Amino acid sequence: MRNFGYTVARNPADAVRFAAGTPNSTFVAGGTDLLNLMRDGAEAHDHLVDVNRLGLDGIALDGAALRIGALARMRQVAEHREVRREFPVLSQALLASASPQVRNMAAIGGNLLQRTRCGYFRDPGSPCNKRVPGSGCPAIDGYNRGHAILGGSDHCIATHPSDLAVALTALDATVHLLGPDGTRAIPITELHLLPGATPHRETARRRGELITRVDVPRTGAAARSRYLKLRDRATFEFAVVSVAAALRLDGRTVRDVRLAFGGVGTRPWRDSRVEAALRGRSLTHPAIEAAGRVLVRDAEPREGNVFKVELVQRALASVLAELGGLR
Amino acid sequence: MTGLVGRGVERVDGRAKVTGAARYAADNEVSGVLHGALVSSTVARGEITELDPSAALASPGVVAVYTHQNLPRLTVPPDFPYPKSFVPLQDARIHHNGQPVAYVVAETLEQAQEAATLVRVRYRAERPTAHLVDALDEAFLPDEFRGRPNEHVRGDAAATLDQAEVRIEREYTSPTQHHNPIEPHTTTAVWNGNSLVLHESAQGVVLARKIVADAFAAFDPRPDVRVVSRYLGGGFGAKGPTWPHTLLTAAVARQARRPVRLVLTRAQMFTMTGHRAEYRRSLRLGATRTGRLTAVVDTSTAQLSRTEHSIFNSSDSTLHLYACPNVHVRQLGVRLDLPTSSYMRSPETTAHFGLETAMDELSYEVGIDPVELRVRNLNPRLPYRGKHLLECYRLAGRAFGWARRDPRPGSMCEGEEHVGWGMATELHTYNANASTAELVVGMDGRATLRTASQDIGTGTYTVVTQVVADGLGLPLDHVTTLLGDTAFPAASISAGSSTIPSVIGPVSQAARGARDAVVAIAVADPRSPLHGVPAGDVVTEHGYLFARGDRDRRDTYRAVLSRHGRPVELTGSTRNTPGHTFGAVFVEVRVRRRLGSVRVSRVVAAYDPGRVLNHRTARGQVIGGVAWGIGFALMEHTVVDPNTARVVNPNLSTYLVPVCADVPPVEAIFVDRPDPSSNALDARGFGETPGTGVPAAIGNAIFHATGRRLRDVPFTQDRLL
Repeated sequence: MRNFGYTVARNPADAVRFAAGTPNSTFVAGGTDLLNLMRDGAEAHDHLVDVNRLGLDGIALDGAALRIGALARMRQVAEHREVRREFPVLSQALLASASPQVRNMAAIGGNLLQRTRCGYFRDPGSPCNKRVPGSGCPAIDGYNRGHAILGGSDHCIATHPSDLAVALTALDATVHLLGPDGTRAIPITELHLLPGATPHRETARRRGELITRVDVPRTGAAARSRYLKLRDRATFEFAVVSVAAALRLDGRTVRDVRLAFGGVGTRPWRDSRVEAALRGRSLTHPAIEAAGRVLVRDAEPREGNVFKVELVQRALASVLAELGGLR
Repeated sequence: MTGLVGRGVERVDGRAKVTGAARYAADNEVSGVLHGALVSSTVARGEITELDPSAALASPGVVAVYTHQNLPRLTVPPDFPYPKSFVPLQDARIHHNGQPVAYVVAETLEQAQEAATLVRVRYRAERPTAHLVDALDEAFLPDEFRGRPNEHVRGDAAATLDQAEVRIEREYTSPTQHHNPIEPHTTTAVWNGNSLVLHESAQGVVLARKIVADAFAAFDPRPDVRVVSRYLGGGFGAKGPTWPHTLLTAAVARQARRPVRLVLTRAQMFTMTGHRAEYRRSLRLGATRTGRLTAVVDTSTAQLSRTEHSIFNSSDSTLHLYACPNVHVRQLGVRLDLPTSSYMRSPETTAHFGLETAMDELSYEVGIDPVELRVRNLNPRLPYRGKHLLECYRLAGRAFGWARRDPRPGSMCEGEEHVGWGMATELHTYNANASTAELVVGMDGRATLRTASQDIGTGTYTVVTQVVADGLGLPLDHVTTLLGDTAFPAASISAGSSTIPSVIGPVSQAARGARDAVVAIAVADPRSPLHGVPAGDVVTEHGYLFARGDRDRRDTYRAVLSRHGRPVELTGSTRNTPGHTFGAVFVEVRVRRRLGSVRVSRVVAAYDPGRVLNHRTARGQVIGGVAWGIGFALMEHTVVDPNTARVVNPNLSTYLVPVCADVPPVEAIFVDRPDPSSNALDARGFGETPGTGVPAAIGNAIFHATGRRLRDVPFTQDRLL
């Protein structure tokens, strides 16, 4: 790891101005991903701008939305009483993430911007189109058990690792950004980009832009939500497959359903066609199975991850059956 | 004897470890030390065509960059404990991905690491072969290795198998695995003239000294080498051999004329040391309808490197565990473009997983309970005298509740979970090596024991201290044990569960001898209250010497020795015989029906390690071994890219080992009967026994839960969809 400069920003505007004006700089909050990336040689920065003291760590619930400051720690959000009551899927996704030590350190904004766990990406001795554009993707013909079956391209099939992002995607969250040109807000579904031919471009964030807040709208479905995470050991491991689901029933009829998937897509995966296959219908096993088939209709599995096609459908069935009280 | 041996004495080094007072090899402060960083190859096979260190040399703080172009020629140490047949940085040839190609030395660690990224290397790369499945047709029977043949024949297995009433023919596989001790491999080389001191993370300081001395055999004069390894943050076999980075650090420090410290990165631990080889095993069992084994044909194939033919996946359980008149074992190998494999806790596990799974498959084939099937086939000449394996089955089975088991697969369900019960025999072959220990009882009445064996985290400091205190009749805190230094009397490597069987003999011999010497001094000394008491009538306890019949006649170690005017010194030296330790493990698993995920919910195990010298540290080995077994069964797997033969998951974030939540409470039971055939106070080698049967027991329990038979570890949930 090479030497780098370090500046503690005192307010959001200073942080953004400083970052935009400093070549090869980046923000650091908890540092739980960034420091590993720098140590492993997957990223190199000349300057870090510490954003921990910007006062952006509040969590508030009003009539319209839950408003999570981007510097709130994962643990604060996971343990927040109203989050647990009104948005259980958020709390569950966070508690299923990482370890207690990491959750104490890692901030919400950084969680959304964490980088893929693809082993080729994290190894500077391997080619990777995401790390070195044009160098190639060894995962496509190599080891791809952890990789995406949806949203991939000939250039990259890496998954996005955040559980929180999957839950926020299901709940239609909005991401607020502050940049040198002012503030803007984008739906979380537009934050992460498909890899296409430019897998090194991962988010819609512009140069110097800082995530300041994430808003999650209050909906009837959010309160009846759940996160199911399947992984290769009991804790402290990323998802093989995960499902964030929110469900509102009217009798047996699905009035509202929100679904997002982790471990299967190159970004937190949401497909409105899956929800449309359920909305307005009676929640039955055949209906759920039909929705699952819609989800994987465009799947492009590889040798190592073909099992995810089946597993994600079963995970969806399991979580909806539980939320909907089906046996 | 004061009853200290056997008691679950707390670790005598526990406080030092939790407070940080214990200095591990890289913790030692060495003035003027330089820091090393290795550059490793990014191809698996080929040749360096161009190596340009200029940018690295120009980087701040860099003292030197050593490569095959400027490092002096070392001798390849000839014997196995140096596992490789080459030393890197001696020529341009690349034998595996991640091989060291340059060694950067700088004033600080960060400077060395940064400069290492600036060394430019170009290669002429050849296409590597990375997996057994890609070269099975090249399998061959390697020459014997370390004096052990790779083929064993008893009776006529093939012909008997053809005639067998029942046949089980199956294939079992396991992937490459890495030891991953928490403490990385580290070396600090300090030259003083022709003397070299190495602060080394080593499981065997005496062997390390020999290997390093061998590497410098062509130097004149040959250096004096001392190796120090006081504490180890886990070894599991990884630090048993001496690996190239140690030799290179010694050479580089000599060239730089400064001490040099190297700590391997986690990723380098996946290529610059050893691993458990990828392994396939074809097992063909023949049996009678009543479940008696008549033939075993056991053909295994292990990964070899291009440069060595080391095979560590011992088939001992096929040869010894069950009585079978016709056995044919062949241990084949396939050369791949991978690093040299080595031994890893416990080497038998790979082969034993197949046998103990096949025995379960046979039990269903013939309709005989798996425990009963094993009892029927038990080798009446199990290669040790006390045969308490039956007792292990009985004790663990009873504690587990095995008698309540309905053998039908899928017979137990709780909610969404299938519940299954499985069992397996545990078996480990332990080593024993000639060892010497030196005991000094000082004029302050305190004892110091020195021996060049090691505590690799298993509790050797504690057990040796117990044995010395017990033998002398001193309180524990009057005994100091010093280990891990070639300045002490030569003793066993700590690998293959050999430490206790090797060193307890000499330690107890020295302790008893010193006790007798002190008693003799006391009864011969007119100033002692014990003067004239027959030596045989003196009892030693808690630092006192008593007359047996009259405890008011007493003296103390301190008084006797201070009057004596000089310390008492005794050396013990013995050689024990290697042997086998057995046990039985029973596990319960829960499998989520639709999702296929497996959780181990209960483990009960019983062992016969001879006499248990410390119940606490022995239980620690059971918990650790079971955790290893769970990892082997459910998650451990070094991923090697099929095209580049490069490790894809060289870190603890993607090379999964169990976390606490994966390991249920473990009930450990010991038969605890002395084995008089062992001269280590009737204790056998034990540490690596627990875990050997756990992968098969888990697989067998999964079959019981679901009716699905898994033969390829790890059993990830996709295999149960």
